[in-house]
Amino acid sequence: MTSTPVSRPDEVRRYNRSSLLRLLHVGGPVTRARLATELGLNRSTIKTLVDGLAEAGVVEERVPRPGRGAGRPSLLVLPQPQAAVVLAVDIQVEHVAIALVGLGGLILGRNSWNLHRRTREPGEVITHVLESTSLLAADLDLTPVACGISVPGVVRRADGRVHEAPNLRWSDVALGSRMSGALDVPVVVGNDAELGALAEYLRGTARGTSDLVFVSADIGVGGGVIAQGAPLRGASGFLGELGHMIVHPGGRPCYCGNIGCWETEIGESALRTALSLPATSPRGAIIVELRELGADPVASVKVLGEFAEWLTLGLVNVVNLFGPEQVVLGDLFAALPPVILEQVSDEVRKRSMVSRAVGGVRIGKSSLGADVKLLGAAEAAFEGVLDSV
Amino acid sequence: MSEPILHITGLNKTFGPVHVLHDIDLDVRAGEVTALVGDNGAGKSTLVKCIAGIHGADSGTVEFQGKPVHIRSPKDAAELGIEVVYQDLALADNLDIVQNMFLGRERGSSWLLDEASMEKAARETLASLSVRTVKSVRTPVSALSGGQRQTVAIAKSVLWDSKVVLLDEPTAALGVAQTRQVLDLVRRLAEQGLGVVLISHNMADVFEVADRIAVLYLGRMVAEVHTKDVTHGQVVELITAGRSGDIGLARPEHAVL
Repeated sequence: MTSTPVSRPDEVRRYNRSSLLRLLHVGGPVTRARLATELGLNRSTIKTLVDGLAEAGVVEERVPRPGRGAGRPSLLVLPQPQAAVVLAVDIQVEHVAIALVGLGGLILGRNSWNLHRRTREPGEVITHVLESTSLLAADLDLTPVACGISVPGVVRRADGRVHEAPNLRWSDVALGSRMSGALDVPVVVGNDAELGALAEYLRGTARGTSDLVFVSADIGVGGGVIAQGAPLRGASGFLGELGHMIVHPGGRPCYCGNIGCWETEIGESALRTALSLPATSPRGAIIVELRELGADPVASVKVLGEFAEWLTLGLVNVVNLFGPEQVVLGDLFAALPPVILEQVSDEVRKRSMVSRAVGGVRIGKSSLGADVKLLGAAEAAFEGVLDSV
Repeated sequence: MSEPILHITGLNKTFGPVHVLHDIDLDVRAGEVTALVGDNGAGKSTLVKCIAGIHGADSGTVEFQGKPVHIRSPKDAAELGIEVVYQDLALADNLDIVQNMFLGRERGSSWLLDEASMEKAARETLASLSVRTVKSVRTPVSALSGGQRQTVAIAKSVLWDSKVVLLDEPTAALGVAQTRQVLDLVRRLAEQGLGVVLISHNMADVFEVADRIAVLYLGRMVAEVHTKDVTHGQVVELITAGRSGDIGLARPEHAVL
């Protein structure tokens, strides 16, 4: 066992304080007694820490409802959302959503708008985000202390530079520095799928699963990987683009320059084609169609059989590569008919060698709905905040 | 499919000698926000009231989910799953959020209301829309801000599992910050698969949330276009002149009178 590299008493206290806050932020309200067991700290240490946080207005203590056990019930410690608020921005190809998210992961207020042609340009998006943020913050009387941004593209983690976001037609945008310059708070920019994976790991169905893959379909298909409890990142933070794994040589051309990328077979436009919807139909129409189809298992298999096969094929590769305990399917995939999801999971478990070895990978849909990337962006922003609250 | 959930053809309405709506055709599709725009007096609110069953139409057919229907009263509309949200924040001030959401359709026996289940349903509905700005569902509506009231009114349509929501200038009485929060909710309603009709005067709002724009000009439907295909300027021309380039009414020299 390695010892923690902290030695001076105030450093120890700060370390304990931020681990306690992290526990409250991710796990929600807990009793003092639970805090003591979870953190392995003395009860009096917990009291000092909680008293300090309560005085600073970061937590509130409440007497819980009388339990069944004997003795005086331990006080319940509740994080106060307003104590630390971050700005989360989710930039997607067709719309942008922003939210002010409080301690504990609560969305306190939100805005969103559609993007068309000119309003999709980086400058326009940044201006609109800043303007909406100041209005929302003023209306709710909150001040964000950090900002997390999710972008569907290749992003350099260190300075938040968007190298390439082809579906948005952005290239080489200094998003991080432009936003931090205007907001005057630390800004973290991340790939949307990576942040989605983070949200699933901390708040979604995969909570506490140390190895997971999050795959989602927006216009493009993206994947994020959490390996042994930490996000997997490539050289200088450029994450692997799962959607551009080539699965169909001789298939459809992809904008990335290759032919037969996974995205061309299972992305939004492929789904539209499979459902024989016109190319102009919006996201909501696809969801409605999928929901109606879900009521009829036979028709689902007939319409989406080929789509499911491509999804299976790619997932087998993904599972064999990363060996996750759980695969979480997000966005449009979460709306797929249950019979299709079942078929895909069964097939992947049957065909993947790694899945057979680990006794069957769990495959399920996201429980966070459309907010998954927004919550992921908030968590990325919170990473730096919890130490300084 | 892309069959419209609500399909209106040849709808006419007169108030005495005034012919307000001329042969209106309108399609509302599930999962889309259709913006209904037009100048003052173009007939937007009348059209919504005809759909909602407040005014009876003189002629025309209405198909809902592919079946012809006759909407004679607001109750008929509500039974079909058509909900209307008005600009003047039509909620009962003296009642709380739960009571407002269930007004006239309370749960429970005739002797005792099932308060617990209504409260739970109201709370779950607000949570499903991730509306967390209201502290308690037992807050009287008079204590809420304009934006929060409109949120409650919209949440009502989700609670009742509506298929189509008609919003008659839902943001007219609101400030800028609250308008944006309500528009966000409108956009997310469509993403949940509801058919949404939004009446608005504000072009910026329309372009932010609408997938499709329907333009009324002096009681006639002059254009139904995809938001992607048009510019601000073109929509303004359609509203004020009834035509813009090739879209809208035919040029006067070709018009059949």
